[in-house]
Amino acid sequence: MIPSDHFVRFYNEVFKYLDSLGREHLLDYWREVGRHQAGLLAEDFRKGGFKAAYEYWSLIAHEENCDMDLRLEEDYFELKMNKCPSLSKAMDNDAGACEIYCDHCMAWIQIVMEKAGLHPAYDIESRVEPHCNLRIYKDPEKARAREKELRIPARPYEEFGPKKG
Amino acid sequence: MALRYKDTGNLHPDFHRLVNSTIKWVREHYGEEAVVEIFRRVAQDVYRSIHEDLKAGDPSQLIEHWRYYLDREGGEYTTEERPDGSYWMTVTRCPAYWFLHEKGVEIDADFRRQTILLNRFLGEGTPFEIVTEPITPGSYRQGIVPRGEAHS
Repeated sequence: MIPSDHFVRFYNEVFKYLDSLGREHLLDYWREVGRHQAGLLAEDFRKGGFKAAYEYWSLIAHEENCDMDLRLEEDYFELKMNKCPSLSKAMDNDAGACEIYCDHCMAWIQIVMEKAGLHPAYDIESRVEPHCNLRIYKDPEKARAREKELRIPARPYEEFGPKKG
Repeated sequence: MALRYKDTGNLHPDFHRLVNSTIKWVREHYGEEAVVEIFRRVAQDVYRSIHEDLKAGDPSQLIEHWRYYLDREGGEYTTEERPDGSYWMTVTRCPAYWFLHEKGVEIDADFRRQTILLNRFLGEGTPFEIVTEPITPGSYRQGIVPRGEAHS
């Protein structure tokens, strides 16, 4: 049995294996995870909005032992990750971390939020330090404005997928 | 015995659901060989410390790893050390299987192969064969057997 505590290191090996075949293979897997997560979460987020997001990540913070701050504002929900246990484990790992490990988070969140009618703006901040910032907006214009402020905006499908034009 | 990874705090057992769906998805898109290769890497690269200990003839970290994480997730098991030097653990309640079962998740036919493949590759290149014998869905026996010793 892979302990649930070690899932991250298994997941990281799946990422590295697929990435070695070509980045589009990794993106296909992330789309699948996104579909899986959307099946579990999108309807709750669509109905419950920011409050549902707050409740979901409160549970994650508890179960995954995250050091994070959650904030509900009129315009957005914010998740400020101070110490991400997922990246911490991927890095505290004799096998080494996938170089775009952090992007998997936005890869599923983007799909869930699209189905929920919400708009995320995700700042990875650093790919080697375990902190990041996610805001979710109802207004797509406000999400786009927020994106201009980000240090490392997470847009995995746009950044690593086939280029348009 | 010091474990290379020794997690504490709360548990997020829903990760077993993603292991289940990932095994199915990788097999359906990339074939059986891809599943095998990923578990080889987990066994020998992620669990390098346990694998290195086994190569040096020391199974104690693997035994402690099995015990620690089954205890942590509410697994049930019995153990036996035999005169031939082998160590056996009969897992009567696998927490990963029962979590999925109780949630009503469709459990992939290959879900239990995570244990079979991990054990096989942990033993590869070492003086031990790490054996996994399924008993029922949700229970199995695993053993650390010095190579050359018959087991039953």
